[in-house]
Amino acid sequence: MKEIVDFLIRVNNLKEMPRTGWVLMDVKRPETVAEHVFGVAILSWLLGEKKRLSVEKLIKTSLAHEFCEVYAGDITPVLYYPRLPKNKTKRKKVLMKWARLLEKEKEKIGKKKFKIEKKSLFKLIEPLTIELKKEILYFWLGYKRGLIREGKFVRQINRIETLLQSIAFFGTKDANIRTNWWEWTEEIVEDPLLLDFLKIVQKKFYEKKLIRLKEEKELESILNFFWKVQELKSMPRRIWVLMKLKKPETVAGHLFSVALISWILAKKNLDREKILKMALCHEMPSVYTGDLITPFRIRNKKGEIFQKWPRLPQAEKVKIFFEDFKKEKRAFEKLTLKLKPNLKKEMISLWEEYKRNLTPEARFVNQANVLAVLLQALQYKSKDKNLPIEWMWEWAFEKCDDPTILEFLSQIQKKFL
Amino acid sequence: MEKKFYLTKKGLERLKKEYQQLKELRKAKVCGKEIPKILHSEDVNPEYLAFQEDLNFLEGRIADLEYILKNAILIKPPPKEKRNVVNLGATVTLEEKDGSINEFTIVGTLEANPAEGKISSESPVGKALLGKKIGDEVLITSPIKVAYRIKKIRYNLS
Repeated sequence: MKEIVDFLIRVNNLKEMPRTGWVLMDVKRPETVAEHVFGVAILSWLLGEKKRLSVEKLIKTSLAHEFCEVYAGDITPVLYYPRLPKNKTKRKKVLMKWARLLEKEKEKIGKKKFKIEKKSLFKLIEPLTIELKKEILYFWLGYKRGLIREGKFVRQINRIETLLQSIAFFGTKDANIRTNWWEWTEEIVEDPLLLDFLKIVQKKFYEKKLIRLKEEKELESILNFFWKVQELKSMPRRIWVLMKLKKPETVAGHLFSVALISWILAKKNLDREKILKMALCHEMPSVYTGDLITPFRIRNKKGEIFQKWPRLPQAEKVKIFFEDFKKEKRAFEKLTLKLKPNLKKEMISLWEEYKRNLTPEARFVNQANVLAVLLQALQYKSKDKNLPIEWMWEWAFEKCDDPTILEFLSQIQKKFL
Repeated sequence: MEKKFYLTKKGLERLKKEYQQLKELRKAKVCGKEIPKILHSEDVNPEYLAFQEDLNFLEGRIADLEYILKNAILIKPPPKEKRNVVNLGATVTLEEKDGSINEFTIVGTLEANPAEGKISSESPVGKALLGKKIGDEVLITSPIKVAYRIKKIRYNLS
């Protein structure tokens, strides 16, 4: 368990690692690697299900595909643009175009990148159990080398997700200089469904055309859903904002952590696919409601927040819970309104199951959520000793009963206290 | 209709080798024998590491490879008179108006790896290049068009 704790702490750092491409382009609040991974996982799930691919494999591949960056960093732009000008304006101009290189140069850079990233991944997973090590390697190589169908699919989604993020950052008005992400995407995307999805992206953002065909409408609903959910990448978690932390994790970053913890710690008798989906969508209503922190709502007004875990009579707890529950459910229904009925139904039911702790999977993800918050808090605390997070232990021991989760809690107690 | 997989000679040999080695690994695992040493070497074949532990993963990959090898079509260089046309296996040198040079090799989906300059014939860039001749103008991206002129086409399919 000690090895798993260390592994998760290291991977958690991806929540603080901005993607190099955006940094070099001077984006004010660049997306982090973990937020990008969250986006890739969501898009892979929604589009992959239409291809009848394994959603469990898609999500795991998405989560694993950037593990190599824990030690290697996000090196792609650095390798493909080795002679970038220092002048910001000139640099941006160069980066707006995807790199022009000879095949030999591309091959050399690609191989070098793979070698560095493989070394980094091996270093990261080395202390883990053989079983986990092989599973991670399977998904990472499945992605990098396209060895499994899901890996090949996520590889294409990775580019589409980045393209969408570039549109979110830079818009589409100045078409002459923004070829980078389109060129990069169109070199790799070959799946017919994803090519159709790219056509919808064009129609929506560039041609501003109405979508009329039924099949196109479904892809449009996925795009619109994703576009909205993407906002979670720039929504800081309210709890850290209230604690006045600089550059706190976002809701998307948190969802990445919960999905990752759920993958690594879930026992085989649980429905793994369901757990991963639930972890990814459990905070999605925040898109409309903002990041609610239910138990502290009343205490916050009294100014007693963060000194201790709220003590409330049962009836009051229930009342507060249902007030927020209704608000969030309305928000989630609004968010999923245009999705295909079965997908909408599945998402809402996963969320409801989670909120009401109805199934073994929901109970597990709820506890994984506690671990994600606590682990993040402890990492913040190690940088700021005055951070008031002691109440979180009380919360954790109140909510958790899964033996693996309890073992994990005891391990982090040893490590941090 | 069964899907056909276009592979270069090198790509086909690599898959055949992987297939043989995975079968060897399966045999060793089923018989409880020690795993052959070569398969431990991550430098030689890092892929095998991923399949060593789980027999389901291993079986799945073997079945995939069997299907691919059954439906594989070797990409051969076209006859001399057709080597000025972009086809599967061609390495295409493109020149932009400002003089910058870009290069791609067009391969089948299984060998595509844009990070190393190999793009699938089914990608929009691959599709835009197929059938073009030296000197042709080509627009290879949308919605933002990038104009290139085909400068050189070569086939190195050994």
